[in-house]
Amino acid sequence: MFVVMDTVIQTVDLHKNFGRVKALDGLDLEVHEGEIHGFLGPNGAGKTTTLRILLGLARASSGSATVLGMHPWADAVELHRRVASIPGDVSLWPNLSGGEAIDLLSRLRDGGVDQATYKERKHHLCELFDFDPSKKGRAYSKGNRQKVALISALVMDAELYLLDEPTSGLDPLMEAVFTREIRRIAHENGVTVLLSSHILSEVEQLADRVSIIRAGRIVDGGTLDALRHLTRTEISFAQDSVDTHALDTLSQVHDLTVADGRVKFGADSDRVHEVLPLLGSLRVKGLLVAPPSLEELFLRHYGDTVTPPARQEEDDGGTHHRRHRAAPAGA
Amino acid sequence: MGALWILYRQRLRRDRWQVTVWVLSIGMLALFAVAAIAKTFGDDATRAQVLQLATAAPAILLLRGLPRGPGLDSFTFFEIFAFLGVLAGLMNTFLAVRHTRAEEESGRGEMIAATAAGRWAPLGATVLHGAVVNILVSIATALGFMAGGLDPAGSLVAGFATGAVGFAFLGVGLLASEFFSTSRGANGISSALVMVGYLLRGFGDATGQVGPDGTTMTAAWPSWISPIGWGQQTFAYTGNRWWPLLLPLALGVACTAIVVAIMARRDVGASVFAGRSGRADARPWLRGSFSLALRLQQGAIIGWCIGGLATGLLTGSLGSAIQSSITSNPQITAVLRGMIEAQGTSMTQLLVAALFEVAGILAAACGLQAVLRLRQEEVAGTAEPVVAESVSRMRWLGSFIGLGAVSVVLVMAFTALGAWLSLVASGDTSSAVGDVWQTAVDQLPAALIYLALPAAVFVVWPRATIPAGWALLGIGVVLGIYGGMLGLDQKLRDLSPFTHTPVTTSTGTDWSGGFWMLSIAAVLTALALAAVRRREVGTA
Repeated sequence: MFVVMDTVIQTVDLHKNFGRVKALDGLDLEVHEGEIHGFLGPNGAGKTTTLRILLGLARASSGSATVLGMHPWADAVELHRRVASIPGDVSLWPNLSGGEAIDLLSRLRDGGVDQATYKERKHHLCELFDFDPSKKGRAYSKGNRQKVALISALVMDAELYLLDEPTSGLDPLMEAVFTREIRRIAHENGVTVLLSSHILSEVEQLADRVSIIRAGRIVDGGTLDALRHLTRTEISFAQDSVDTHALDTLSQVHDLTVADGRVKFGADSDRVHEVLPLLGSLRVKGLLVAPPSLEELFLRHYGDTVTPPARQEEDDGGTHHRRHRAAPAGA
Repeated sequence: MGALWILYRQRLRRDRWQVTVWVLSIGMLALFAVAAIAKTFGDDATRAQVLQLATAAPAILLLRGLPRGPGLDSFTFFEIFAFLGVLAGLMNTFLAVRHTRAEEESGRGEMIAATAAGRWAPLGATVLHGAVVNILVSIATALGFMAGGLDPAGSLVAGFATGAVGFAFLGVGLLASEFFSTSRGANGISSALVMVGYLLRGFGDATGQVGPDGTTMTAAWPSWISPIGWGQQTFAYTGNRWWPLLLPLALGVACTAIVVAIMARRDVGASVFAGRSGRADARPWLRGSFSLALRLQQGAIIGWCIGGLATGLLTGSLGSAIQSSITSNPQITAVLRGMIEAQGTSMTQLLVAALFEVAGILAAACGLQAVLRLRQEEVAGTAEPVVAESVSRMRWLGSFIGLGAVSVVLVMAFTALGAWLSLVASGDTSSAVGDVWQTAVDQLPAALIYLALPAAVFVVWPRATIPAGWALLGIGVVLGIYGGMLGLDQKLRDLSPFTHTPVTTSTGTDWSGGFWMLSIAAVLTALALAAVRRREVGTA
């Protein structure tokens, strides 16, 4: 399909204060039509607050937010007809069944799907997610409650999907089903998705572009390739009598240490494949390759303790951390 | 289908049993009241005598209403309307909080608001739901009175007065939901406001002007700041005035307007009084299931103790107000005072007995809440980590019952303190002043029953704990405290613990009923403690 670079979500200098706490501190976010946009950040960074403002559930203290060309707080009802959302924590009515809750939420969204299509889709999704809709709300586990929100978001058509840690509580099997469904609607219907998460791997599987939020402002953004460039993969293997000298000389290898009988080092994530032949020729045993975690990314690039200069980035914004980002890759 | 209609139907679906029970109970109570009163107080002469006694000893009016003549219809309205108003009020505050604050607190409100329903449709649907329910209450009450054989026109006024009081408290419940971040807080404050409404009109009725024949009365100003008082001002059956009902309706609309103004500015899930942040470190005493129970219930206990203190303080101030209203009507009172004294009960003792009955209900409710907390803890999943530690289920249950007992004692202690202080301050020097402590102790056995009984239910039939707990208390109040005035059969009244509450008079106290209740409470508690060892802690 053709990607039209229209802006679906735009926030400019968005602030949200809760008393003295600055939940959002000048957030500039831009999401284009037809893209799956990953919204990454640690707990408490302001992801949920941003999504709530975009949905018109919370009101910005200052700054502007535009969603599908509308003002979310003032045009909430109009906006919600075109938006599907999934919260990260779903609570159900104790005496309504899961199926009833799905029907209620879908009818309220009023997405203009006829009755027969709706029933068919609901049935299909319930099977896909292995969900029993006839139990009462109080009887579901966390993961099953989450499925109610997933199904009622996917059962109707929408132009924009706002997903706030949508897979929390799901087992890996269901996570995979969810990822497939999101990819399907994105490709078939060309919808826009804003996916908030603190799990890097989840975002990596889906997102075209990402924005990284920390302490209420976007600190980095761009394509996934650019993000990979930022991260290091943790590699370790049993020391035995392997001569690690050859590794030391590779430019992709950083912080090589030997401790507790294991050799550990970090490799630039986009250059892991360049290290593997050497590991093979060394015949290493007990090889572990750990993909970069978001926490590691933050510690390495934005952490206050690991890299003291990062403190300054709050004053001079983009320019500093870009310079800083280049450092570990070239070290 | 519009979002408003869908949400309205969802509210009907959720409440179908609850609202049916409330509406039918209120209607049945109206019918029942007429039948019982017709049986017990058969003719105008008897009823006139009762009214003259009441206007002479206005302490009685506190728990009843505003006398407007001895006819069966107006007498029934006098006896039962204030209580119907309380029921309608509580039904509405619970309904309002259930569909607004509780929804937002659980996060379900947020899911709804994220659909095309937006932020306003849920409020609209709740107001519509409440309004319709209040019309149903009005019709049920009117039909109840009519079926009892009362005048249809007056019954309509009485019925819609009940519904209008309910609508006022619907607004109060909605407004409380804007201010508090938890449904617990919103329910607590709005139920307390219903009780304030009841006591204000009680105060106004008891200090009003007695009419020439002693069977009618004009309420004093406090009745005019209570929605229940406004309902009484319709003078159903004797005056059939509709205009006072504009006041509760206006209050309901005004509260809703304020709610709209607040909601236009606040985030979904936020409240005017933001949830405060807590302590970073637990206090040293928080180290076991009893101290946990105390930590969880401390706010509620303080609230109920303030209620007890206020009820106690009312004794002295009401006492002196009544003294002056009696001296203003010497002929009747001279005769009637003799009657009361002849029964061995002084005016102050009568007042103390009446008010401490109310305080006894407060104490029972406070203790009951501690036991119901067990079930809330279990459902929320916070019970599990506690019993997973080195706390046995028996000890866990025992801690909450124990805390319930402590809170019962505290509420009565504050009531007695308030009564003692206000009586001393009002210059009362009779022996009744010292009797307040004894009267406070008299209320304990009945309240303890309301710890042991729900604890037993909690062990045997967990899911019924909360509805059964409040229902048992409600039934106990109706049978025990209103049973006499309704002329209920003694066997029925004997089912209520409050019927057996020892009464302290000048001639002493009969504690035989009290000892029986203490024994029953002890046995039930022991059984619950033994049985909980065989019961699992779960959420179902």
